Amino acid sequence: MNLRGKEALRERLAAEYVLGTLRSRARRRFEGLMHGDAALRRTVAEWRDRIGAMAEFVPPATPPLRVWRAIETRLRLRGPAPAWRFWRGGALAWWRTLGVVSSMVAALLLVTVLQGPGAPAVDDVATLTNAQARTALLVTADRDRKLLTVRLVETEPLAADRVLQLWAVPRDGKPRSLGVLGAGRELSLPLTAQAIGADVALLAVSLEPQGGSPDPNGPSGPILYKGAWVSVM
Amino acid sequence: MAPPSIPVNTLDLNKWILGAAQKDARAFRQLYDACSPRLFGLALRIVRRPALAEEVLQESFIAIWDHAGGYQDSLSAPMTWMTTIVRNKSFDLLRRAGDEVDIDDGKFDERVLASMRDPQANPADALELSSEAKALAACMAVLEEKHRDVIGLAFFHDLSHGDVARRLALPVGTVKTWIRRGLARLHSCLTGGRTA
Repeated sequence: MNLRGKEALRERLAAEYVLGTLRSRARRRFEGLMHGDAALRRTVAEWRDRIGAMAEFVPPATPPLRVWRAIETRLRLRGPAPAWRFWRGGALAWWRTLGVVSSMVAALLLVTVLQGPGAPAVDDVATLTNAQARTALLVTADRDRKLLTVRLVETEPLAADRVLQLWAVPRDGKPRSLGVLGAGRELSLPLTAQAIGADVALLAVSLEPQGGSPDPNGPSGPILYKGAWVSVM
Repeated sequence: MAPPSIPVNTLDLNKWILGAAQKDARAFRQLYDACSPRLFGLALRIVRRPALAEEVLQESFIAIWDHAGGYQDSLSAPMTWMTTIVRNKSFDLLRRAGDEVDIDDGKFDERVLASMRDPQANPADALELSSEAKALAACMAVLEEKHRDVIGLAFFHDLSHGDVARRLALPVGTVKTWIRRGLARLHSCLTGGRTA
């Protein structure tokens, strides 16, 4: 089959190729000709736009949400978001609110914490609140003595096989563990500059199995409490 | 259930397909939001069963993501490129399932035919159509009804001349002639009568 110079035939075959009525051997032969004929490929593309537009005459129908979910999962467009990513992608407004509210609460709590000359100096402070914004823990840092003091103000009771783990959350990068919280209302943890650098914006407490998160990249359980880490002076 | 009316803008579609080619998940999501109602409608029309249509839509968007890089080579308008994928996936799935779909015993879907007969029939729908579809609708409207029907039947149901003839209880030769004449008229109408 030679199509050179046979304009009408080229158009007709291209149209029937797109429509689907060009079948079996004739279809394969036509595809063979297209392969070596750029003009013919263009003719086919033109027909595809012309009669392909018929597809748009069909009334639209909204697909169920599960279709997108399935696509997203198959293409791994949104890997399971780690629990500690809760603050990411959040609005700047959230940071501001957190900063203001926490500073106020921290100031009030500091009054009760700083009692007497023997008390440790407080350089940084975080009040960690639960989802209902109730204060659950107070964390203070004494940089000279490299000491982190954690006071449990009002925390939920824990199952026997669960522990709380404290994290320093930097503005970028992975959270760093500050330690697992043992029993008692007031605990001391070693403070290292590496754990709490200037880039730390937030402290968070997650619920973990005994021994702490098995995930080296951050918390494995839900974040129960969080709060801004603010410098007192 | 009326899906949200999202005007199809070729420039946006092009941008999002390009984004998908660069593995930009957000652009891909925008493409999905803008096009999935139309593409799902098309899949439903061809395969009929909602569960199959969902599968077609899923497979189609996987293909769109995977092949977005080759979109430019297709030389097609964005909507055509995507509807071609959906149409092919629908036919593939039906072939795999070995299914003969009930297509109303030759009584082709009334609303689809109505849009072809009278592009002004539903102004809300018309607004969402691409420029290619608007032009086609106008030209379809001036075709003889029988020509329009055989072309629509072949397009939406992957039918050969023989299949169309069987559905409509017509001689194959008649169907071939109608399709040929219908396509020639469409061509002449769409190209402003440049060719016969």
